[in-house]
Amino acid sequence: MTKGVQVRVSCRIELDSFEGPLDLLLYLIRRDEIDIYDIPVAHVADQYCTYIRMAQELDLDVASEYLVMAATLTRMKSRALLPRHEGGDDEPDPGAELRRQLILYRTFREIAEELQRSEETWTDIYTSPGERERWSEDTAPAEPGQASLMDLLKALSSLSEEDTEIPSQRIRRTLLTISECIEHLGRRIPPGDTVSFWTIVGPDPTPTRIVSFFITVLELVRRGWIGFQQAYPFSEIRLRRTERWNVDP
Amino acid sequence: MILDRLAREVEALIFASDEPLSIRQLCEYTGSGEDSIHQALDRINGAFREQHHAVGIIEVAGGFRIATESEFGDVVSQLFEGRKPGKLSRAALETLAVVAYSQPCTRMAVESIRGVNCDSAIRTLLEREMIRISGRMETPGRPLLYSTTRTFLEYFGLTDLDHLPRYEEIEELLSMSPSEMEERDLFERREDD
Repeated sequence: MTKGVQVRVSCRIELDSFEGPLDLLLYLIRRDEIDIYDIPVAHVADQYCTYIRMAQELDLDVASEYLVMAATLTRMKSRALLPRHEGGDDEPDPGAELRRQLILYRTFREIAEELQRSEETWTDIYTSPGERERWSEDTAPAEPGQASLMDLLKALSSLSEEDTEIPSQRIRRTLLTISECIEHLGRRIPPGDTVSFWTIVGPDPTPTRIVSFFITVLELVRRGWIGFQQAYPFSEIRLRRTERWNVDP
Repeated sequence: MILDRLAREVEALIFASDEPLSIRQLCEYTGSGEDSIHQALDRINGAFREQHHAVGIIEVAGGFRIATESEFGDVVSQLFEGRKPGKLSRAALETLAVVAYSQPCTRMAVESIRGVNCDSAIRTLLEREMIRISGRMETPGRPLLYSTTRTFLEYFGLTDLDHLPRYEEIEELLSMSPSEMEERDLFERREDD
């Protein structure tokens, strides 16, 4: 089999003739007479990567989609090779998602072919009169030379009449570190008392301040330095120090 | 064959209309029932055939219109030379197929099925008026939603979206989760064996 494969992959590579990685995969699957419902992931991954590598060696521009698929296949291959944990193995079959994608894509590709046949038939049928108006002189795409430089200039000037100055404003980034916040919190929460989160944030609740203090609160709760209370979702959060505040610093 | 009054009214209406006339419109304008309209259409087409006319009445995009026989395509196409755009590319046809079955849908949805960037295919289809922007999805980024147009139906000679090839099969495939699809695959395989 390996030898046969080598002979076959040495055929000319025309990545351009494929409509993307799925199309290439379907080609490889058909070429190697693989059952789409039982895809040997490792084999297909190897074949696919060989194809891509050869395309790259030939200095063909390989679109990123092809590389993403190569990475996905390689990952699936390594998954398939790893021993499976016994029991509690919720890992989905790596081939299942690929199979789903391939079947969906293949079906749509067939539909596209059917549409193409309809196009073939209906292109010779002409109706009267409305539909063909679409191909009247007015709506036909512009031919070279049909529009002059003046037309373009006119279009440009009509645009620039509406020009408005783009307002500019310098946005200054205020830095508020977590340690500054902790210090601030220490001053604002008297021992044995509870304080609202919004009191901590202060009278100027910019997004930066809110987020910085919120992260600080999360951090301190994690360390066990403060406790908090919230009666119900979105209600006020009240904070208090725990005994560990003074112990751990 | 001599056509009766109703058949001639129907013929006149379809001839003069600039868009396909539905059965409902034909009923309304002639004051007749659906069955009578269908019979009248049959009589008109019968008369056309009898006298070897080059036109007939066809049903397309949800209505009826007069169309030339396909064997005169070459002769008639001279009228539109240089104006009629070329055939659609494979990329455009595939993209159109996905939009047709999952509309309204985003570019991302098309790309996830085709596995490639579909920017230019979508642009071509918009230019050719095969698809249109039908809204925005209320998710982050509010991506544009695309739907097919009546031009699409007319171009491919479809009466309506339900008449897309294998409509139900695709609907089923699209609504399936990977595991369901797998179960079905296994089932199909067993049938094959």
